[in-house]
Amino acid sequence: MKKPGLKFYKSAAVVLTLIFVGMQISSPDIENPPVTSEIVAPADVKQILERACYDCHSNEAKVEWFDKIAPASFLIKRDIEEARSRFNFSEWDKNPAGVQELLLWEMVNAIEQGKMPLKRYQLAHPGGKVSESELAVLKKYVNTLPGRHKVDTARIVAQPSSSQKVSTPKTPVSLNGIPYSADYKNWKIISVTDKFDGGSMRIVYGNDIMVKAIGKRQLPFPDGARIVKVVWGKQAEDKEGNVLPGNFQNAQFMIKDSKKYSTTEGWGFAKFDGLDLKPAGKTILFEQTCANCHRLLAPENDFVFNVPTK
Amino acid sequence: MKSTISLYIIALPLLMLSCDDRNTAQLAPEYLYDAGNQKVIKSIINNKKGTIAMLYGNDLALENASKSLPKPNIGANYTLVTWKQKPMPQWYGTKMNGEIYSVEHLKVVQRNATQFAFDYDFQTGKGYQPGDGRPEEQQRIKFITSQRAAVFP
Repeated sequence: MKKPGLKFYKSAAVVLTLIFVGMQISSPDIENPPVTSEIVAPADVKQILERACYDCHSNEAKVEWFDKIAPASFLIKRDIEEARSRFNFSEWDKNPAGVQELLLWEMVNAIEQGKMPLKRYQLAHPGGKVSESELAVLKKYVNTLPGRHKVDTARIVAQPSSSQKVSTPKTPVSLNGIPYSADYKNWKIISVTDKFDGGSMRIVYGNDIMVKAIGKRQLPFPDGARIVKVVWGKQAEDKEGNVLPGNFQNAQFMIKDSKKYSTTEGWGFAKFDGLDLKPAGKTILFEQTCANCHRLLAPENDFVFNVPTK
Repeated sequence: MKSTISLYIIALPLLMLSCDDRNTAQLAPEYLYDAGNQKVIKSIINNKKGTIAMLYGNDLALENASKSLPKPNIGANYTLVTWKQKPMPQWYGTKMNGEIYSVEHLKVVQRNATQFAFDYDFQTGKGYQPGDGRPEEQQRIKFITSQRAAVFP
C-alpha cells in the first residue's frame, strides 16, 4: 500500500482547520436562566454542591474560556441540559419534598460510587472533585432529612376506600402498558430491605426465571425475569427493637424484555400507588426517571438494586 | 511512523470514553431461603440486633395472622427466617438481608380432644455465632403467633 505523502497531510491539515473554524461559528452559547427557587441547605453542604455540582445542575454555570471552544462546547451544552433535566438546584422547588430527599440520597450514592461529578468534567475542572471528608458531610446531612426517621403512626388501613374502588378500573395498567398482577404472591422472596430515605420496608419477589437465574449466578438476567417489590411504611420500634410494617405504600414491577424495553436497559418499570393501585407518573417519561437512577447506580447488577450479592 | 501517530490520536479519545468501566456483581444465592408453599405474612426489622426477618405461614397460619381468632388454628405452620443485615452495595441508605442467622419453625398441633400444643424448632444459619445464645422458646411462640399479617393490595 502506498503511504500518504506530505501533500496529503498538508491538505488534511487545511481541511481540519476549516472544519475547526467553522465549528467555532456554530458553537453554542451556554445560557443561565434565572434562579427561581434555590435549594436551602446548611452552609458546609451548600458549599460542596456549589463547587462540585452547580456548573451543570444549576442556572449558575460558570463557563471557562476553554469550555466555549467547539467541539467541547457542544458536549458541555448537552451535559448541562441533561444535568438540569435530572435536577436543578436553581429550580429546586419544582420537585415535591419527597422527591427532593430522594434526589439528595441519589447524589450521595452517585458521588460515593465515583459516577459523579462526571470524569470528563473533573479532567477539565480539577477543583470539581468531592473528597472523602466532603462525602461524609453530605452523608451526615442526608441522615438529618425528615424522611430518615419517619414512623408510620396512622391506623393501618386494609381496604381501599369505597370511593376509590368505584373510580378504579378492574386491572390498573401503567402508562407503558404494564398491568398490575397479583401473581407475585406465589413467587419466592429474593430480598428483604429497610430503606432509610423516605422510611419504608420492602419485600422483593422474583418469579421462577429470576430465582433460577440468581441460583445459577446468571447476569445479565434473562428475558422473562420479573421482580415485584412491595413497600410499607415502618411502625415505631418496640422495646425489643422490632420494627413492623405499617400501611401499604406501593408495589413496583420490573419486567425483563431486552427488545421491548431496549430504551430502559431492557427492563420495563411500573409502580402502583396505594391500595387502589394508582399507576404512578403523569406521562410515559416516568419510566426514564426509574431507568436513569438504575442505569447510573446499578449497572453491575444488570440495573437491579434488590438482588442478593456478595 | 506517521500512521502510528495518527492511530494514537484516534485511539486516545476512544480510550477516554471507555473509562466508564462496568464490572459485574457476584450474585449470592446462598442468601435466599425457599419457604416452599408457605405464604408471606410480613417482614420484621430489628436494628438493635442488626437483623431482618421474614415470617411465612401456611393458609391456616395466614388466617390466624389476618383475623383476630380467639385461639390458634390447629395445623397452622409458621417459618420465621432471620438474616443478618448488610448494607445494600449499590445504595447507601438501605440495609438488606445478608447471611441467614436462624430459621424457626412453629407448628400448632393437637394435644388431645380439647387442647392444642406448640411444636417449636430453632435452627442456626451461617450468620449465627456460637456465643449468641438461643431465644427463650415461650417468648418466641408468643411473638410468632401474635404477628398480624402485613396489608397487601
